[in-house]
Amino acid sequence: MNEMSSMTPEQLNAGGYSTPDGRPIGSPVMEMKNITLKFGGVTALSNISFNILEGEIRAIIGPNGAGKSSMLNVINGFYHPQEGEVWFQGSPRPSMPPYEIAEQGIARTFQNIALFKGMSTLQNVMTGRQLKMKKNMFWQMLRYGPAIQEEVEHRRKAEEVIDFLEIQHIRHAPVGSLPYGLQKRVELARALAMEPDLLLLDEPMAGMNVEEKEDMSRFILDVNEQYGTTIALIEHDMAVVMDIADRVVVLDYGRMLADGTPGEVQADQAVIDAYLGVSS
Amino acid sequence: MELLYGIFIDPWIQMVSLPDFFVQVLWEGFVSGVLYSLIALGFVLIFKASGVFNFAQGIMVVFAALAMVGIYELGVPGWLSVIIALGIMYALAFSVERFVMRPLVGQDDIILFMATIGLTFILIGGGQAIFGGEPKAMLTSEIGLPSGDYVWEMGGGIVIFQKLDIAATVIAGALIAGLAFFFSYTKIGRALRAVADDHQAAVSVGIGLNQIWVVVWFAAGIVALVTGIMWGAKSDVSFALQIVALKALPVLVLGGFTSIPGAIVGGLIIGIGEKVFEIYWGGLMGGGVESWFAFIIALIFLLFRPQGLFGDKIIERV
Repeated sequence: MNEMSSMTPEQLNAGGYSTPDGRPIGSPVMEMKNITLKFGGVTALSNISFNILEGEIRAIIGPNGAGKSSMLNVINGFYHPQEGEVWFQGSPRPSMPPYEIAEQGIARTFQNIALFKGMSTLQNVMTGRQLKMKKNMFWQMLRYGPAIQEEVEHRRKAEEVIDFLEIQHIRHAPVGSLPYGLQKRVELARALAMEPDLLLLDEPMAGMNVEEKEDMSRFILDVNEQYGTTIALIEHDMAVVMDIADRVVVLDYGRMLADGTPGEVQADQAVIDAYLGVSS
Repeated sequence: MELLYGIFIDPWIQMVSLPDFFVQVLWEGFVSGVLYSLIALGFVLIFKASGVFNFAQGIMVVFAALAMVGIYELGVPGWLSVIIALGIMYALAFSVERFVMRPLVGQDDIILFMATIGLTFILIGGGQAIFGGEPKAMLTSEIGLPSGDYVWEMGGGIVIFQKLDIAATVIAGALIAGLAFFFSYTKIGRALRAVADDHQAAVSVGIGLNQIWVVVWFAAGIVALVTGIMWGAKSDVSFALQIVALKALPVLVLGGFTSIPGAIVGGLIIGIGEKVFEIYWGGLMGGGVESWFAFIIALIFLLFRPQGLFGDKIIERV
């Protein structure tokens, strides 16, 4: 397929490589080292290791119940693994609550849309700017000049993201009333407004029709290209994954089946067995 | 026939023939409505942000007022005792978050509700141990509240407005305006609304729930202190006051558990409604209507409009 297919992740880690379309892929942003996650007696993830490189689109795929969402929840701190280490930006990350992980530059969307339904699109996107606002409450209450100026700056950034994702026309609409596909896009906009170093997308195309899927795929690729955002996503639709992902991790029953480029994992016998069932 | 006359005709004749008295009744109802609104507001603040029905809101009113009077009795100036009482409510908010909310986060609502019942007993016991169980007189002139009244002549009679009631209304209005402004225009206010909408999403954009809970419990504490001062000034500060918190329940049913405007409008409707009903229709039922009127209204609402006037519409997907 391309020269990357023949490289192991370790070779890629050496840095200086780029995707066929010329985007640079850098050093690991995130590394999972022997992650094991248990709920009571159930092992959701068992000894999983993989990395996410700067600037790439990394897909996590697998059948239902494979542990994909659990994996994402480990990355953004909703779950704390019993064993293994999570390395972020080159050093092991101590166990911390998810809102602190958000402060470190990890944004996410949810499988079942989690928007602030009582707010408009713009207000939702503005919450993504929350962490970047520095002026304290006292000045904001007084409508003190610099506090207003700060608000205006963040508003501009929010509008930029809104334009980018082509949701200007619903800027002031309450998000609860929007169709499903647009809600998903607003959620992406909110995450993007955080200007994250790592963007986690949990089934960004679930429940969409073909046209909506194409739109969303295009937005994900655009985000990756224009902002250089590193993206890790979970997706069911294999065709989509093959189209947009640079590298793919395949999970099944909490174990790791394969890790490689789309072409490699598609040709992997264990992956074929897991998806299609083993014929005996 | 006489009964029908008493129900449908006589009250209206009385209202029209003695307009000054009618206005007086409306005003009295309005004043108690403001206080119901404040208590309901305390409930709504916490319920919106954490989904917890705070059974302890009523006792927080008593506790805040007792703390203020107790500190004043130690020889502290009036204005300073208000500030110290606010500090105590902050300490309470902080402790509730640290020792009640945080360990129980993610538990069922009913468990958090039970925890607030526990908190009620702790505040009753603690309040009695520290400040004593006997009723205390509320500070009024000591903290700058006016006394006396305005007399307004109308329709051949007079209407009396207590200056204290006027002050209470103005202060309540200012408090509500302040809270509304805070929620609309500050970063923490925006975070608060985000948390009220979706905990998970709020966390994912970097909003720490712990900090938000301290803020809402403190806001509820401030509301409790103001309510305690106003209510205490009309009667005395005693543990009996906590039963007025029960009146907040019908107000919440009427206004909706998640709506701040609902709490305000609901409180005023109940306050004015029960006074008017008591005066003009109460006699037919031997009086004492005021104590149950609100609950009948709540019952009717539960039957026909369970989400209240302003609450989120309940849609069940099947």
